[in-house]
Amino acid sequence: MRSAFFLLVTTLLLLLALPASRGRYNDDFEDGEDLADFDDNDFAEFEDMNDDLTAEAETAPPPRVSSPSSQTEDDDDEDEATVELEDGQDGFEDSDTQDQDMYSKYDQEEFEGIGDMEKTGHSMKDPLIIHTVPAHLQNSWESYYMEILMVTGLLCYIMNYIIGKNKNSRLAQAWFNSHRELLESNFALVGDDGTSKEPVSTGKLNQENEHIYNLWCSGRVCCEGMLIQLKFLKRQDLLNTVTRMMRPASDQVQVKVTLNDEDMDTFVFAVGSKRAMARLQKEMQDLSEFCSDKPKSGAKYGLPDSMAILSEMGEVTDGVMDNKMVHYITNHADKIESIHFSDQFSGPKIMQEEGQPLKLPETKKTLLFTFNVPGFGSTSPKDMDSLLPLMNMVIYSIDKVKKLRLNREGKQKADRNRARVEENFLKQTHAQRQEAAQTRREEKKRAEKERIMNEEDPERQRRLEEAAQRREQKKIEKKQMKMKQIKVKAM
Amino acid sequence: MSTNSMTDPRRQNKILRYKPPSTETNPTLEDPTPDYMNLLGMIFSMCGLMLKLKWCAWIAVYCSFISFANSRSSEDTKQMMSSFMLSISAVVMSYLQNPQPMSPPW
Repeated sequence: MRSAFFLLVTTLLLLLALPASRGRYNDDFEDGEDLADFDDNDFAEFEDMNDDLTAEAETAPPPRVSSPSSQTEDDDDEDEATVELEDGQDGFEDSDTQDQDMYSKYDQEEFEGIGDMEKTGHSMKDPLIIHTVPAHLQNSWESYYMEILMVTGLLCYIMNYIIGKNKNSRLAQAWFNSHRELLESNFALVGDDGTSKEPVSTGKLNQENEHIYNLWCSGRVCCEGMLIQLKFLKRQDLLNTVTRMMRPASDQVQVKVTLNDEDMDTFVFAVGSKRAMARLQKEMQDLSEFCSDKPKSGAKYGLPDSMAILSEMGEVTDGVMDNKMVHYITNHADKIESIHFSDQFSGPKIMQEEGQPLKLPETKKTLLFTFNVPGFGSTSPKDMDSLLPLMNMVIYSIDKVKKLRLNREGKQKADRNRARVEENFLKQTHAQRQEAAQTRREEKKRAEKERIMNEEDPERQRRLEEAAQRREQKKIEKKQMKMKQIKVKAM
Repeated sequence: MSTNSMTDPRRQNKILRYKPPSTETNPTLEDPTPDYMNLLGMIFSMCGLMLKLKWCAWIAVYCSFISFANSRSSEDTKQMMSSFMLSISAVVMSYLQNPQPMSPPW
């Protein structure tokens, strides 16, 4: 049994091997040769196909010996050789015996003839093509120049990161050193990161990023607190540095003072560079709602022409723009990006996907100052000193806003404005709010019903149902009473 | 100094603790660069690994570096490290599979 099985396996292998070897000579069969012919006269086959066969015969042994890179045969030979190599290797493994037979036949009878044929083949074919050695076999670093370029780029990036980070850190420290005295004399708490148990001044900046530093100051009359953000340029990012070469920008210092309700009267006001004003009017929620007029030129109030004013009413502008403020702004106009006083400050407009939000955004009485550091990016720590007068202006503004009160007319106007804005908002969201109220009522009813259903005791269930019914009845009666009253009044 | 007159404006009893501004209310103020770069880096490194493209893998390394440089301090370092490691592994795998040097596109 076992031997029969073994025999079966070998015959199967041979059968498999035959097509494999025939595969090599697929060209032959495509030419239309008969299978019978092949069987009868192998050599006739070979004689007909001069080049292919000679090539195969020639190169069947050579590829085994020489390396594939040093081929100096013509195209056909090479193609055949590569094909041969792959096929040959498979063929070799599959049917060793078959190949051996072929070679012995070649050696004995056809070798000389093949030599002649090879010569003719050569003369008929294209000139020799010498291929270059593939790069990874060359063993030289020059071929890897792209990689070296990449690594160099990465190293440049890392160097720029370290240098930029250090520069930003030095600028921040310089700013803090020059402003420390002023801040400490005005605020009880200078520097807080919100994590420590006791409100003790940390006396240093919070580093949020490699280019953003925060400082929180609190504990003063007239205000809740002041958040100073040093928004430096992204010097640590090489991409950003390159972009900045095309589009210059400057470091910014943003000061946000939050006030208590009693510290500020109700008004909205902004002054700054023309471009900044145009941008803020579009972006900021409160400026777009309350200051709908185009920004007025600052020249009317003695400011340079490059400055513009957005104000809720003229009285506010007169009140804010006193001599000292005008003096401050005129002297440092190049450093002032925008100054924004508002009792309805809620940040920039939020784009909602599902229509309007249901509630008005929360507002906070705020003074917002944005200053540009001079130098347009190539600042040095010394430039930070020039921002000190601006901080003085901030302190002055805080005190001033506390004292600034609108007269009766102004107050009425302001109140009317705010009522108008709220009404508009309510109208827009009316439909949505109704829907929301309806769903809430239905939810309540459903919850009530469920409670009644879930009651185990039938007695209690009955009682609860009766109570619910009585409540419904009362509601209906109330409504009817209201309708009656309205009717009576109308009459 | 206008305020430093006789009275000291500091009030110890009026101290308010610092509350980091919540970012849910102001998504527009957040810089999206590190997140985009992180995502891009992961996509490129996946492409580099799957399609065996060396230049993809190199770009992924650059993206993860840029993402790291722009990241906020509050962000998870694990995320940064994972994208970094992924891009480095993409480069290494591309070269192990095919040690030939990268050919320029021109």
